[in-house]
Amino acid sequence: MTTASAELGRARFTLRREPMFPLWSIFGVAAVVAILATYPLYGTEYVMNLLGMFVCFSIFALSISLIWGFAGILSLGQAIYFGMGAYFIALSLKLSYAAENPTRYGGTIPDYMEWNGLTEVPAIMAPLMHIEVAIVCLLFFPTLLAFIFGVITFKRHIYGVYCAVITLAEALILQEFIIEYQAYTGGFNGITDYETYNNMYFLWVILAVAVLLFGTSRLLTHSRIGTVLKSVRDNDVRAEFNGYEVANYRIFVFCFASMMAAIAGGLYAAWMGIVSHLDTGPILSIEGVIWAAVGGRATVIGPFIGTFLVKGAEFFLSQQLAWAWQLVMGLLFIFVVKFMPEGIMGTIGKSIAMGRQRRAYAESQDAYQSGPMAVVARLRAAFTDGNRGFMDNLLGRSGRRD
Amino acid sequence: MGDAVLTQFFSGFSLVAILIIAALGLAVIFGVAGVINMAHGEFIMVGAYVASVVQSGLGGNTFWSIPICFVAVGLLGLVVERTVIRGLYDRPLETLLATWGVSLILIVVIKMIFGTELHYVGSPEMLQGGFPAPGNLPFPWYRLFLILLSILLLIATFVLFFRTKFGLAVRAVRRNRSMSEAMGINTARVDMLIFAYGSGLAGVAGAVLAPIKTVSPTMGFPYAVDSFMVLVLGGVGNLMGVPVGAAIIGEGETILAFLFNSVIGKLLVFLLIVLVIRIVPRGIFGYQERTLGHRR
Repeated sequence: MTTASAELGRARFTLRREPMFPLWSIFGVAAVVAILATYPLYGTEYVMNLLGMFVCFSIFALSISLIWGFAGILSLGQAIYFGMGAYFIALSLKLSYAAENPTRYGGTIPDYMEWNGLTEVPAIMAPLMHIEVAIVCLLFFPTLLAFIFGVITFKRHIYGVYCAVITLAEALILQEFIIEYQAYTGGFNGITDYETYNNMYFLWVILAVAVLLFGTSRLLTHSRIGTVLKSVRDNDVRAEFNGYEVANYRIFVFCFASMMAAIAGGLYAAWMGIVSHLDTGPILSIEGVIWAAVGGRATVIGPFIGTFLVKGAEFFLSQQLAWAWQLVMGLLFIFVVKFMPEGIMGTIGKSIAMGRQRRAYAESQDAYQSGPMAVVARLRAAFTDGNRGFMDNLLGRSGRRD
Repeated sequence: MGDAVLTQFFSGFSLVAILIIAALGLAVIFGVAGVINMAHGEFIMVGAYVASVVQSGLGGNTFWSIPICFVAVGLLGLVVERTVIRGLYDRPLETLLATWGVSLILIVVIKMIFGTELHYVGSPEMLQGGFPAPGNLPFPWYRLFLILLSILLLIATFVLFFRTKFGLAVRAVRRNRSMSEAMGINTARVDMLIFAYGSGLAGVAGAVLAPIKTVSPTMGFPYAVDSFMVLVLGGVGNLMGVPVGAAIIGEGETILAFLFNSVIGKLLVFLLIVLVIRIVPRGIFGYQERTLGHRR
C-alpha cells in the first residue's frame, strides 16, 4: 500500500527520466526512413539525389549539435573533418577508377595529377586505392586531428569564442592548402569523374548509417556522460569543482563528433561524385551551425529537421532568385539567434516539458488539498507563509480581503 | 639571401600596418563590449565601397575618404548595434552567429547596389612612387603612409581610452561591468559608442585598403579572420596586444611566404599561434579575469 505522502514524494522529488528511445520516436523514425528508402521507386532521380545529400548533411549537422548543443563547444571548422572524410573516399575512388580507365594520354593516374605534371601516384597516396584503407584512414585521421586539437586547447581551458575563431582559421587554411597543392588534391576544381554510388542501395546504406549514428548520439546524450556534458556546457567551473575532468569529456565528444562528420563526408563523396575545397571550408562549417541551430542544437533529431528545412528551402528558393537566398539566410541567422535560440525542436520540447511540469504541479496541489498531507501542509503554511494570515492558511482561504 | 629577407622584412611592415588598422576596431569591440563581430570584414568591405564612391562620385582621394568612411561605417555599426546586437551581450557566441547573418546581408546589399564586378580605387597622386630602401626594391610612399596611419590610429585610440572621461568609463566597463553600472556609468551607451567607434575604424581600414586591393563584395572575410588571429595571439586585455600580434603575424607570414610559399607561411604562423595560446591562453597581453564564473 502506498501512502499519499509516498506518492507525493515520488511525484515531487523523483527526477522524471525520459525513456532512451520512446515508442513513438521509434515508429516515427521507422516511418520517415521507410518513406526515404522507397522514394527511388516512385520519385524522380533529381529529388533522390537531393535526399541522399540532405541525409549526409544532416549527419554533419548532428555532429555539430553534439559538440555545440550538448558540450558547449562552438566549432566553426567542423567542415575540416567532413572534408577530410570526403577527400579520403573521393581519392580512393578516383585512384581505382584511373587504374581501370586510362586517361586520354594513356596514364593510369588520376587526370588532374597528369595535368599537373605528376607521372605516378605519390607513394603516400598509393595505398588509398584500396577502399578498405581509405575507410580506415577516414575513421582514424580526422579523429586523431580532433584529439590533438582537443588536447591542445581544451586542456588549457580554451573554448567559447577563442575556440570558434581558431577553428575558423584552421578551416580557412586547410581550404587554401587544398587549392595550393592541386597536383595532389585537384585544387580549385576538386576531384570528380569517378565511379559514384548514386542508387537506391547506396541510399539505404546512407540511411542505415544515419539511423545508427542517430541512435548512438541519443544513447550518448541521454546516458551519464550526456548528463555530465550538459553540466559542462551550462557551467564548466562548477562541473570541475564537482570533480569532473571537464577537458576529457570535451575531448571525447569532440573526437566522436569529428569521426561522425568524417563519415558523413565519406558518404557524401561517394554519393555526389564530386568533392571540392568548398566541402572543407568555413562556409560549410557555418552553414552546418545554422542547420543545427534552426532544428534545435540541444536535441538529436533537430539537426535532421533543420538541415532538411533550410537546405530544402535553399534549393527551392535559389531556383527562383539566387541572390535572395543569401538574404534569407542572413535574416534567418539573426532571427534564430535573437528569437529562437533553442531551435524548432528545442522550443517544442521545452513547451512539452513545461506542460508536463505544470500538470505535475497541479496534481501535487490536488494532493495538498485533499489527502492527509493537506493538514500538515496547512499547518506548516500557517507558520511560514507570510503572505496570508494564520487562519487563512489553516482554513485554506484565499486571504484576500476586498 | 639575407638581403632579400631584409627586403621582405621591410615590405612586411605594410601588412603589419594593415593588420593593425583592421584589428584595432575589432579589438576595441571585443575587448570592451565582449562582442564577436563577424561582420567586421564586411564593414571593411563597405568602407572600401564608400571610398570608391567618394572617388568616382565626389572626386575626392584617400585623404577625403578616410573621415567619410569613418563616419559612414560608424553609423552603419551604430544601426547594427541597436537592431541586432542589443540584448545579446551576455551571449558572446550568439553575437558571433548574428553578426555572421549581418555579414551575409551586407554582401547581398552591396552586390545589389554595385553589382559583382570589381572596382578599382586609385591612390592619391602625392603618395605614388617610392623612395630607396634597404634591399633592391624601392619602398612605396603609400606603404609609409599606411604605417604612419596605423601608428596615428593607435595613438588616437590610446588617447581616447586614457585621456578622456569617456575612455575612463570604457576601461571601467571592461574591467567590471556590473560595478561600473552601479557607479552610474551608462554601460549600454558605452557599448553602443564603442561599437560605432570600432566599426568606424573598420571603415578607415576599408578606405586605405581600397587603393591596394581590388574592391569586391567578398573581399572582407580573410581580413576578418586575420584580425581575429591578431586578437587571439595578442590578447584583448591591453591595446598593446594589437600591434604586437599584428607584428608577429604580419612579419611571420611575409617572411615565411618568401622562404616557402604563402600557404605554408600561413600554416606555420597558425601553428605558432596555437603554440603561444597553449602557453598563454588569453594571448600575450591578455589578463586573467578574477571571477570564476562562466568563462568566455
